[in-house]
Amino acid sequence: MSEVPVSETRSPSGRRHPKRPRRLMPPRRLMRPRAVKRPSGRVAARTFLKRPRAYAWAAGSVLLLALPFYLDRFWLQAGLFAMAAAIGAIGINLLTGATGQLSMGHAFFLAVGAYGYCVFAGEGDGLTGLGLPTWLAAVLAVLLAGAAGGLFSPIAGRLRGAYLGIATLALIFIGQHVLFNAGDLTGGSNGRAVPPLSLFGLTFDDREVVVAAVPFGSAEKLWYAGLVLLLGCGLFARGVLRGRPGRALNAIRDHRVAAGVLGVPVARYRAGVFVLSSMYAGLAGVLLALVFQRTVPDYFGMTLSLEYLAMIVIGGLGSVAGAVAGAFLVSLLPQLLTRYSEALHLVSAPGTGGIAPGEASRYLYGAAVVAVVLFLPGGLISVAARRPRSIPGEEA
Amino acid sequence: MTPMTRATAVVTALAAALALTACSSKAKSDNDSDNGGGDAKGVKTGDGISGKTITLGALTDMTGVYATLGKSVTQAQQLYVKQVNAAGGICGHRLKLQVRDHGYDPQKAVAAYTELEPDVLGYAQFIGSPFVAAVKDRVDGQDKGLVLPQAWSANLLGSPYVRVIGSTYDIETINAIDFLMKEKGLKKGDKLGHVYFEGDYGENALKGSRHMAEKSGLSVVEQKIKPTDNDMTAQVAALKKAGVDAVVISAGPRQAASLVGVAAATKLDVPVIGNNSAFAPQLLGTQAGPALTKNYYVASPTLPIGAATPAAKKLVADYRKAHPKDALDNGVVAGWTAASVFGEALKKACAAKDLTREGVDKALLTIDAYDAGFGARQNFTDPKAPSSKETAILKPDKSATGGMTVEREPGASKEARAYTPGS
Repeated sequence: MSEVPVSETRSPSGRRHPKRPRRLMPPRRLMRPRAVKRPSGRVAARTFLKRPRAYAWAAGSVLLLALPFYLDRFWLQAGLFAMAAAIGAIGINLLTGATGQLSMGHAFFLAVGAYGYCVFAGEGDGLTGLGLPTWLAAVLAVLLAGAAGGLFSPIAGRLRGAYLGIATLALIFIGQHVLFNAGDLTGGSNGRAVPPLSLFGLTFDDREVVVAAVPFGSAEKLWYAGLVLLLGCGLFARGVLRGRPGRALNAIRDHRVAAGVLGVPVARYRAGVFVLSSMYAGLAGVLLALVFQRTVPDYFGMTLSLEYLAMIVIGGLGSVAGAVAGAFLVSLLPQLLTRYSEALHLVSAPGTGGIAPGEASRYLYGAAVVAVVLFLPGGLISVAARRPRSIPGEEA
Repeated sequence: MTPMTRATAVVTALAAALALTACSSKAKSDNDSDNGGGDAKGVKTGDGISGKTITLGALTDMTGVYATLGKSVTQAQQLYVKQVNAAGGICGHRLKLQVRDHGYDPQKAVAAYTELEPDVLGYAQFIGSPFVAAVKDRVDGQDKGLVLPQAWSANLLGSPYVRVIGSTYDIETINAIDFLMKEKGLKKGDKLGHVYFEGDYGENALKGSRHMAEKSGLSVVEQKIKPTDNDMTAQVAALKKAGVDAVVISAGPRQAASLVGVAAATKLDVPVIGNNSAFAPQLLGTQAGPALTKNYYVASPTLPIGAATPAAKKLVADYRKAHPKDALDNGVVAGWTAASVFGEALKKACAAKDLTREGVDKALLTIDAYDAGFGARQNFTDPKAPSSKETAILKPDKSATGGMTVEREPGASKEARAYTPGS
């Protein structure tokens, strides 16, 4: 499991550890414990702006902000699926990547978020609905997913590794059974409609709003919401991983007994990270529901949980950037392969026999997973991490 | 860089981004407010028609749970398109079928719908009723293109754009029980077993049997199963214990074969009838084959592929020629019927000189007695009702083309006529 060199465990016991960095993006070398005197904020900002990385970030942000003005709904929707997946993947990476706790139940918490949102916000479609303001419903849905994780935490706190994996497997089956059978709550097999999110008077639905001569439908509007959420989730997880809790989690992953001896309350941290990861999944579920505009139980099955595990393995265990990269690869690749199946000459047109595009995309997807695991054991993120750096393994 | 210049940089960047959007292809300019056009003959055209080509979408499943159905439906529709084009097309336009395989994955299905939506006139195929339900609001609200789903659930009724072809599962089940009562000795006070899939299909069929039981004084013994349950031993034991006099099965071919086979082995000698998805010709080659030919019937919205009508005979010959290795099943009939209904709507729309989405929707509403050559008359004038309430009863027969012969010609029972789906 030890993807990150042991430099983490070398850090002193929690109490005397430096505080979690407060700034958004401190230069990496400032993370060195205690020895370096911190320069003032202005100096830090100047050093930051001298680096090409800062400009890459700026260019990337402008590009992301401008995309809805150019791209078709298909691309925006694909991007939104990827963003939602990225949020979920960050969550499971906290649990599986950083703490070494295997969870197969991620899809269940996604479902809790998605259906929770529908139940809190829904009204008047013949199903149980509380009709709350949609922003409140979104917040409550995330909390509900956290609460569901909390209910499971007595188990999550005690079990480790593969044992937790088996236990969480049960959640998937219970979840599927409830989703199909609690008709009044979930709408049964045909699912239920998702009320559009409304925030500060702006409704993320398909009514066209024209911005700079470009008509904005739900996909364009949600794009920005997705970006904000992903950024917030990414930064929060980064903060957690780089700070004291992150070190404690990594210590639990690398050596549970040693962590306990150092004074880390192992069971409490395990339970806590499980709740946090469930809340990330819940938020991903809410965003997915908003993009789909309808929640269907088929989606929240075993395959989805496995996909999330694939995302973090491909991207890189224990890092936020890795989770995001993996999420984009795993959720975009099949869609791209389906779309461009005709241009790729290795597949035949559907219905003419031979390898169907759907099959081909699965083969390629499988091959990509195998290739990453074989050649990039640290995940996609290890490519970026190969650059020389003062403290290896600080990537978070 | 001081905070001031940084702010300036940000503002400049945003301004540049907004300026760039002036050349975005998505931007609305003043002169394309009416994006409709017309061709030489004065026929109005719109989305999905470019030059001399009409593009239709097909969202199919060739790699997921409905792979066999998806393959047959798609190949039949491709055959239809080929034949129409060989005969000169419709309205002087060639047809083109744009196929996307979603593998029964909701994300891929919604993505494929979104991808094709700007380029197609409508969808001649959409497998998976949950996915149809997922995009229904968009179809009704903005896109307004005709969608012909290959799912027969009553939950899909009610939209003027999503049109179910043939009887829905509840009506089919009512007709199936009517057959059991009139011809297989099921009578008032008897017990009827119903084995059904959890989900849309099974639950819709169950509505039909409950309705019929209430009207005819039967009692229903319900057995819910999951699509992953392949062994029906427990269900047969339960039904036998309850002392049922006949069984309806709303599940897949495997479950039907298991049920009939196990029932025969345990001497539960009662007639079994399945919905149209509960049979595949391949079953006759299995150990359950003899039991199936003896005690099993299939309710179907149309005549089987091996029917004696001229259209069926021609389709069999053409399909065999195009796909000599593939099985002839009811998916071929379903695909062919859907494609020809779409074609018929296009012809009517052409006659009204309006090939826009709106024009095709209107044209379909005028079709009241269309027969694609498989017995059942389709009436599309009421979006709230399925296009037909008729059901044919078929019997497995190893020697017949497609493995089935007609036991009872298509017809609607009086209970089915009086029944309103969704009530």
